[in-house]
Amino acid sequence: MTGGTFSWNGRDVAFRAGESIGAALAGAGVDALGHDPAGRATRWFCGIGACQNCLVRVGGRLVEACLTPAEDGLVVVSADVAEEIDR
Amino acid sequence: MASPSKLRIAIVGAGIVGVSTAFFLARAGVGVRLLEAHAPAAAATGAADGAVSVASKRPGAMMNAALAGIALYRELAAQGVLDGGFVSRSTFLVAVGAAEAAVLDGHAEALASAGVEVVRHPTSALARLAPALSPEAEGAIEVRGEGHAIGYDVVRRLIRAAELTVERGVTVRNLVQSSDGGLVGLDTDRGRIEADAVVIAAGGGSAELLGLDGVLRPRRGQLLVTERAPALNAALPGAIMSARYLLSKASAKGAPVSPRGYGLVIDPLRTGQFLVGGTRENDATRPIADVEAIGHVLADAVAMVPGLAKLRLLRAFAGLRTAVVDGLPLIGRAPGGDGVFVATGFEGDGICLGPVMGRTIADALLGRPATLDLSPFDPGRFLAGRVAA
Amino acid sequence: MNRAPVLVVGGGPAGLAAAARLADAGRAVDLVELRPALGGAYHRRPIPGVAPWPIGRAGEARWTRLAAGIERPEIRVRLRTGFLGVDGAGFTLLDDRTTGRVETMRPAAIVIATGAVEMVRPRSGWELPGVTTAGGLQVMMKETGRIPEGRILLAGSGPLLVALAGQMVAAGRPPAAIVETGDPFAHPIAGLGLLAHPGPLLEAAGHMARIFAARVPWRRATTLEAIEPTDAGLAVTLVDRRGARERIVVDRVALHDGIRSNDHGFPEASPTASALPFVAWAGDCREVLGVAAAEIDGARIGEEIAARLAGAPIATTSAIRRLAAARQAQDVLARVFAPARPPTPIERLPRETILCRCEGRTVGDLVDLLEGADAPGGREIKLSGRFSMGACQGRFCAHWVAEAAAGLRPDAPPPTPHDLTGRRWPSRPVSIAALVASNSSPDEPTRPT
Repeated sequence: MTGGTFSWNGRDVAFRAGESIGAALAGAGVDALGHDPAGRATRWFCGIGACQNCLVRVGGRLVEACLTPAEDGLVVVSADVAEEIDR
Repeated sequence: MASPSKLRIAIVGAGIVGVSTAFFLARAGVGVRLLEAHAPAAAATGAADGAVSVASKRPGAMMNAALAGIALYRELAAQGVLDGGFVSRSTFLVAVGAAEAAVLDGHAEALASAGVEVVRHPTSALARLAPALSPEAEGAIEVRGEGHAIGYDVVRRLIRAAELTVERGVTVRNLVQSSDGGLVGLDTDRGRIEADAVVIAAGGGSAELLGLDGVLRPRRGQLLVTERAPALNAALPGAIMSARYLLSKASAKGAPVSPRGYGLVIDPLRTGQFLVGGTRENDATRPIADVEAIGHVLADAVAMVPGLAKLRLLRAFAGLRTAVVDGLPLIGRAPGGDGVFVATGFEGDGICLGPVMGRTIADALLGRPATLDLSPFDPGRFLAGRVAA
Repeated sequence: MNRAPVLVVGGGPAGLAAAARLADAGRAVDLVELRPALGGAYHRRPIPGVAPWPIGRAGEARWTRLAAGIERPEIRVRLRTGFLGVDGAGFTLLDDRTTGRVETMRPAAIVIATGAVEMVRPRSGWELPGVTTAGGLQVMMKETGRIPEGRILLAGSGPLLVALAGQMVAAGRPPAAIVETGDPFAHPIAGLGLLAHPGPLLEAAGHMARIFAARVPWRRATTLEAIEPTDAGLAVTLVDRRGARERIVVDRVALHDGIRSNDHGFPEASPTASALPFVAWAGDCREVLGVAAAEIDGARIGEEIAARLAGAPIATTSAIRRLAAARQAQDVLARVFAPARPPTPIERLPRETILCRCEGRTVGDLVDLLEGADAPGGREIKLSGRFSMGACQGRFCAHWVAEAAAGLRPDAPPPTPHDLTGRRWPSRPVSIAALVASNSSPDEPTRPT
């Protein structure tokens, strides 16, 4: 796997191979990740998938940014960006 | 009986039924001893789906009781007692396939004949009414005037409102009667508690105290809660109940149609989460959820509301409902035991019926006229002459 | 004999050591790790192309040993796979993040080696973006080789802050300051106890030499009381040993108030050998004793499980003695880093202080819930108060909620963190699509005996 870029709320963020979405965002200077569906500010916190503070939305689903590997072309948005309703 | 302020009443069980009884007695100025083996709402009340609903009922005693139950929730909510703990909302019974649509038609007529407000929504209306529903849905009936209340929230709020104190961790061993059959009180692991009247609302634990064999049985329910999804939540106008649930319940009486008794209710909660159930399992004695059942319920739920597939499961849990073999609860005076009242066996209706049955029992203890006919639930049908120790 | 594999949960030193010993005994092992790489907190592996963080000769030797120990055909390593618990029918559930499926299995035994999680005392503003745990910052540094930009303040208590600061200095990015609640130099006698543990002592001495050389302010006997967002950055309020307050502005804050077992939601250790599956705990999740002890404990538990499954007697080893020594070292550290002033009890923090971040529940909410004649117990506090009821399932707040509840209602039995978190599956949130795709019940579930 090589590095690349993914989209964060419409902005391109570069990542290195093996980097998590959360680490790549931190590397790009993004601390405030938006809000979760409960309205709480999201951010990198524990870094090990325990605290659920770094939730972001990928493909409509909430995932921990610290646990989820970045992939080229991935579209990532804040957790409070409204989910699309599937029928 | 003595004047209300002098009455000594002991209630066994701090589930929604026992706490409701204590609440109405306390409001009438009667001090009660509220005895609980574990903690308030520790059993069925704390693992219930919270339906305050007649949507799946057929006309009869249980429907009448449920309608009275809903009316009391509205009353308590208006008095501020429930502090937002009761949410008014419709239940939508949704059919998939012609067979379910036919069952639904008949059910709608039965509900309407009992005076329940029912609105039929054709398939063409569903996409606008409930955008989160699968296009497979073929029509729905909306049962209006219902609501939702989380069992443990109701219990906590009633305890607060009446300033009740729950005696936790008290094991009641047996009823104590004098040689002439008069009630003396209760023996517990912390000693004897004297009482003029005793209300046994201990769910499955009531059987031993009453000397009941083979009348009560546990019926496990498994439920789950998702994470929050506000947009999906807003795309459902109320609780969604699969018409198959009617088949699963196989009317109020009788056994579920499959060992797991799968049904499907999807309740959009105020938090933006979803509460999804569930099962009605006989012969399951441990209140622990398993992945086979939860996976099955989730697969059904995703078929009904596809957007749920994108959410995460936060909690799965199980509870043991206390069912009575003939499908009707045991509520009222225990024959042969002066001053002994029973209120158990509500199966899946405890949240809906708990407050209204609590009030009815409190009225009986206070010598007030009954507002609800309890004769269909008379414990005497199983208990004749058995309570005398 | 049950030939099903043994499931080892966690790819840190305890898990790796346990897996190696089980394989030594001929057992098949499934080793699952939630992250994309093995290592655990201490030996966390960097991404490709980044040099591992220097950890000293002993540490490097340990990693070489642990990594070599699992290079065997009996051990199947599954990365990005989480352990969800054991369900009511006795199935063990795994969340495979690569395939997007939940899998069920019936291992012969389960070794839970999930390490520790950090404790972060609630204080005003701890929930803000830009505030991480110290370990969370360290994870980022170890995995990416990078330290985030800006002025970084390390605050709280314990040796991890010193280690992290030392590593930051070594990387050319010293922290703005270390704020330490304890007063380590005030305990020279207790500190002498560390002389019996030269490994950790030498490591600490190296970090401290670097910190002093880089003139990093080390504010001892000082507490970080509050964090506020401002246009210039995060304004933090520090309270020193005399109660004097000072405000400084930084870009990031890394908090750390000790560590505790990462045990929430997992099944208890089995009381008897006949329990199925047999569950054992190893390493920091059993008892927080540090990285060296975790390797020893993992090996001990691996041997014990292999013996139990073979029906062989459990050999007594030197492990117990070595664990006792590690416990002694932890005790000394706890004395050395003891708070210089008693911390403000949680229940007396400002009412708006967030206790349960996931559900947005505050100190004031808890005070209100616990008022009145009836004192709710732990489970009631969770259900009715929504404390510890959110997505982290109480991992970061249950401890403090229980402590505060005990302080607020001395008349009631004190709740435990486990009353708030419970022990049930799923032990962490899991994708519904993954559950629906589950290959559950390949055979009809049977109840465990």
